[in-house]
Amino acid sequence: MKSSILKINEEVAFVLHSIPWRETSQIVEVFTKNYGRIPLIAKGSKRPRSPIRGLLQPFQPLRISWSGNNELRTLRNAEWIGGIPQLSGSYIYSGFYLNELLIRLLPRDDPHQLLFEKYYTTIQSLSYKDKIEPVLRSLELTILKELGYSPLLTHDGESDTPIIPDKKYIFDFEKGLIQSRTDSENRVQFSGKTLLDLSNNDFTDTTTLTESKLLMRILLNQCLGDKDLQTRRVLQELPLL
Amino acid sequence: MPDSKKSSLLDELVEALRCLPSVGPRSAQRMAFHLLQHDRHGALKLSTVLSDALNNIHHCQQCNNFTEALICDLCSSTSRDDSVLCVVESPADLLMMEHTLAYKGMYFVLMGKISPLDGIGPQEIGLPRLIKRVENSAIKEIIIATNFTVEGEATSHAIHEILKPFNIKISRIARGVPVGGELEYVDSGTLAQAIIERREAQF
Ligand SMILES: [Zn+2]
Repeated sequence: MKSSILKINEEVAFVLHSIPWRETSQIVEVFTKNYGRIPLIAKGSKRPRSPIRGLLQPFQPLRISWSGNNELRTLRNAEWIGGIPQLSGSYIYSGFYLNELLIRLLPRDDPHQLLFEKYYTTIQSLSYKDKIEPVLRSLELTILKELGYSPLLTHDGESDTPIIPDKKYIFDFEKGLIQSRTDSENRVQFSGKTLLDLSNNDFTDTTTLTESKLLMRILLNQCLGDKDLQTRRVLQELPLL
Repeated sequence: MPDSKKSSLLDELVEALRCLPSVGPRSAQRMAFHLLQHDRHGALKLSTVLSDALNNIHHCQQCNNFTEALICDLCSSTSRDDSVLCVVESPADLLMMEHTLAYKGMYFVLMGKISPLDGIGPQEIGLPRLIKRVENSAIKEIIIATNFTVEGEATSHAIHEILKPFNIKISRIARGVPVGGELEYVDSGTLAQAIIERREAQF
């Protein structure tokens, strides 16, 4: 059976990471709106006069075209969309962190339009130097939700009763978020208000912000397994975040 | 297996040549045959110079660039301004800066750039050595001349953060429309950044 070569034109995408390939090419990992995360080979894109040499940078929306049916597809064209100033300072490191999260957690060829839209506005927020923490927590939660790794935030995972704002909860790997008991005193506790704020994507409360950072860390580590993120290690060497 | 043992040295040579950038198995084989068949003299010279270079070229104690001496010619020169230090990513970048004839200060060569997703952080590119270079020195200004790529910018930020406590002037080379550049032909990314980073006109 002979199938024709698949051609995709003018898809909105972000470069997540690229690695050099041979002398003048690179393999670019992109996050696209309708096709999810895919690897593309950008032939000759490292040549001094390549029109796309300076274009294939992370944190800039691009309109790209590619072809191929294999795992590694060939980039045919890339155009600059604009509208997002380049990230600067510590915001670049936040961007690296998000890109590594997507590479590690998002399977290839798995479209997530909602997550893509969220990533787009997140990069925008980082470029306008919005407060970093709420922006990061919100995207982390979207990743977990979209990939089906987020526990229910509105109901107790054991009794199925609604979460009560002034009660304390703990995260159980099997049951999800359950009300804290006397025997769970040495576990990390989350107030009901934090969980409800999270479900409403509301990070105005500082306690919510602190507690949700902890909860996101626990949930993400569960998905990441033993291999820690490279960006976390590098960030520890710099007093940045 | 009649011949496989006999040709192993040749195989090893071909394999060794593949460490050169953009040299695949076929070009490596062509190079090996060329050296053995047509240019044995050149091959011998290459092998001695290569081993000499490896034994004698190391990093300058001051600027981290390649040199045979403990401190390179540029760092030991008395005609350079030792109150300014320009930080670049690679020896090639240093040469480009020198070509401009616009800079007469000292250098520090990072030999890389920060790229967290590749596991390359401040330690890996020798930022601790840069701190040592700046400590107890006559340097009054640092010019950061890393690339205007995302990694270059991340590196620039890290340098800025770690050198903040020294209370010296830290500047970044400017970017924008190239000399002789006509707006119509400048790429959109460069033009957008030139608008964002516009400066007051001085006449
Ligand atoms: Zn030197």
